[in-house]
Amino acid sequence: MLRLGISKVLSGAKIQHVAVVSRAASDIAKKPEKIEVFIDDKSVMVEPGTTVLQAAAQIGVEIPRFCYHERLAVAGNCRMCLVEVEKSPKPVAACAMPVMKGWRIKTDSEMTKRAREGVMEFLLVNHPLDCPICDQGGECDLQDQSMAFGSDRSRFTDIDFSGKRAVEDKDIGPLIKTIMTRCIHCTRCIRFASEVAGVDDLGTTGRGSDMQIGTYVEKFFMSEMSGNVIDLCPVGALTSKPYSFTARPWEIRKVDSIDVLDAVGSNIVVSTRTGEVLRILPRTNEEINEEWLSDKSRFAYDALKRQRLVTPMVKGCDGQLKPVDWEAALLTVAKAMNQAGNKIGAIAGGLTDAEALVSLKDLLNRLGSENLCTEHTFPMDGCATDLRSTYLLNNKIAPVEEADFILLVGANPRLEAPLLNSRIRKGYIHNETDIAVLGPKTDMRYDYEHLGEDPSALNQIASGSHPLAAKLKKAKKPLIIVGADAMARADGGAIRTAAMKLSQELQSNIVDGEWKVLNILHKVAGQVAALDLGYSAGVEKIRNADGIKVLFLLGADEGTISRDDLPKDCFVVYQGHHGDHGASIADAILPGAAYTEKQATYVNTEGRAQQTLVAVTPPGQAKEDWKIIRALSEILGSKLPYDNLDQVRYRLEEVAPHLTRYGAAENANYFKQALAISTMAKGNISNSPLDVKQKKLEDFFMTDAISRASPTMAKCVAAVKKHMESKY
Amino acid sequence: MAQQAVKTLRQVKPLLSLDQGQARSRVLNLYKAWYRQLPYIVHKYDIPKSIGDCKNKLREEFLKHKDLTDVRVIDMLVIKGQMELKETVNIWKQKGHIMTFFKDTEEPKPTDFLSKFLTNTN
Repeated sequence: MLRLGISKVLSGAKIQHVAVVSRAASDIAKKPEKIEVFIDDKSVMVEPGTTVLQAAAQIGVEIPRFCYHERLAVAGNCRMCLVEVEKSPKPVAACAMPVMKGWRIKTDSEMTKRAREGVMEFLLVNHPLDCPICDQGGECDLQDQSMAFGSDRSRFTDIDFSGKRAVEDKDIGPLIKTIMTRCIHCTRCIRFASEVAGVDDLGTTGRGSDMQIGTYVEKFFMSEMSGNVIDLCPVGALTSKPYSFTARPWEIRKVDSIDVLDAVGSNIVVSTRTGEVLRILPRTNEEINEEWLSDKSRFAYDALKRQRLVTPMVKGCDGQLKPVDWEAALLTVAKAMNQAGNKIGAIAGGLTDAEALVSLKDLLNRLGSENLCTEHTFPMDGCATDLRSTYLLNNKIAPVEEADFILLVGANPRLEAPLLNSRIRKGYIHNETDIAVLGPKTDMRYDYEHLGEDPSALNQIASGSHPLAAKLKKAKKPLIIVGADAMARADGGAIRTAAMKLSQELQSNIVDGEWKVLNILHKVAGQVAALDLGYSAGVEKIRNADGIKVLFLLGADEGTISRDDLPKDCFVVYQGHHGDHGASIADAILPGAAYTEKQATYVNTEGRAQQTLVAVTPPGQAKEDWKIIRALSEILGSKLPYDNLDQVRYRLEEVAPHLTRYGAAENANYFKQALAISTMAKGNISNSPLDVKQKKLEDFFMTDAISRASPTMAKCVAAVKKHMESKY
Repeated sequence: MAQQAVKTLRQVKPLLSLDQGQARSRVLNLYKAWYRQLPYIVHKYDIPKSIGDCKNKLREEFLKHKDLTDVRVIDMLVIKGQMELKETVNIWKQKGHIMTFFKDTEEPKPTDFLSKFLTNTN
């Protein structure tokens, strides 16, 4: 099977520039000698095989380009990067041409300028002059470069009055709007789709001025990362459908933040205007999301103004929730909690930040209760969650692309963590990574060996009786990634122990001291912080506790606990931002802030603490979560000792210092000890087949309180379902 | 060290008074001028305050600055006080301007966490 697209192999495209950057520099046996080239008469030493464009970038000379992109293969078809090379009769395309020794490259000569001007002129002949109504206006490469490099007058006169080139628009789904007349055929979208997303749907038809980009047949661009082609498109041919005609880039305020809709913790930029989130774009972070973003993270923002809880509510005597003011709501909740004594429980949901988690834990501990748990289940037997190495993606996200063998256990990274999956796919394409899957057969956009669904295969691999065992043992950089769904099973502890045992065995063959075989992939952004702070995973604790009088739901919306699990007289308090399952069973509702509305700490699945910043104010009377708990504590008479964010973070640091080291991923350790404790636990792997909750693309879009409230996500689900019915 | 301190001392031009004594007498004069005008102010502006209230307020306003020692600052405040007095006596002000001295309608800002939370000011 050809891992690279056929077209790319035939055209002999060079791919070394996207080659995987290895963490261990010692992998490179010997460095080839550097060669000297001159760029605008400045000498620069580069490695052989470097392109002219990269060499120029090394000394800070930026050559204009449309089709070239660092993370995609070189196409060399826009010709914008033409530069003059001394003693060469023709200008050369800088993005595709490797430098030769002693070349003198002129990036600002008369010939270069004329070449650029000519290319610009040809592009503009076939480009509509609709900038005033184009969504790309203000952030358009074509606009910028025609100002910088284009001619100041046009020779284009429509002598036949036939009009400019016009191309029919395509319908490629509810997220991407296409205005194909604006397309300049840079083929970035095609290359992204086939190389990164792994969906070979886009392509070109026709030649010359008849060339068109499209899907050949009428079909949607069905990918979980399709939104990235909007960022990649240098012109306004592919724009965001939900964002269309809403704002111009110069009138919006941009706030750096963190995405919380999966456990990857992608870095994002939130664009706001007039107290509204208008769009979300990715922010480059090489260690996490590179420059991509999954569609859920990018487009679910419209849910931030739908289904919101905007005022405190208390259930009246007629059993209906009635809006009240904060004082009344807090007094009601405090009264119930005072009467309950220490018979209080709390469940934290998947979108909860570390500040709220630590305040709630401090409050309940002060009241004498230890019934704090997270909504998402994780094994609590064996060494439970006492050692961080047993619940983190220990090897971090970026090195995944270096792995030579990946074993996925009960995980579907494509839908649970699309950006991790893109790393796996990158390794698969550029690094010959072999992938094996234990669990249901799903479409991950790369080939893998399916090992069936029986979890006991883990034990067979460890003991060496499985055909895969030999291969795995030979691997230099193997990874075992265990999914959250496998961990949520009743025998999750036993599966984890088996995975730990196998990892420990493989670990002993590995030379690289930094390489960690055992990796756990979470599905929600709040889980790692909660486990770090000492919450116990899963709601079993609440179900088993007798006579819970007050249940505090902190953003718990997955419906893991219902009224039937609780005593009749139990008072349920829901604190959160969306009216979802949690709010529907509550007796009192305290409206909190969503992730774009608070400065809060989130820890991703690799254990990296990052903080969101305030982009907009919370709607209505909603407040930041830790403040609500702090205010409640004062009314209850057991005041928490922090009044501002710094003090809460000081408390966080007291509990777990890594939670305030923003941007850094703290390494976890004690693998051997964790295994030793875990093997003492009883329990065997049951033979029920491994399963994952999200199997098909339609399961990807609506997974939490925010994305369930998003109309765009609902449209995506409908579109995927409709697409399934079509014959393509 | 002492030399340095001397160097940084700067000779400044006095505003009005040359020493503390002169400044003091200016303040007392201003106080007396206000004091004498109070009955007329209460009457002309028809404010819902007694002369006694106003005397207390006057005293309070002056005592606000009782710890000042810089002659220039004292002089400047005296000048401003004179301007206020002139504006008041000439009825260049309106009733509301006089009443703002008393700040009846101004509510103190909450300082503790809970009241800030409940009044939505944190």
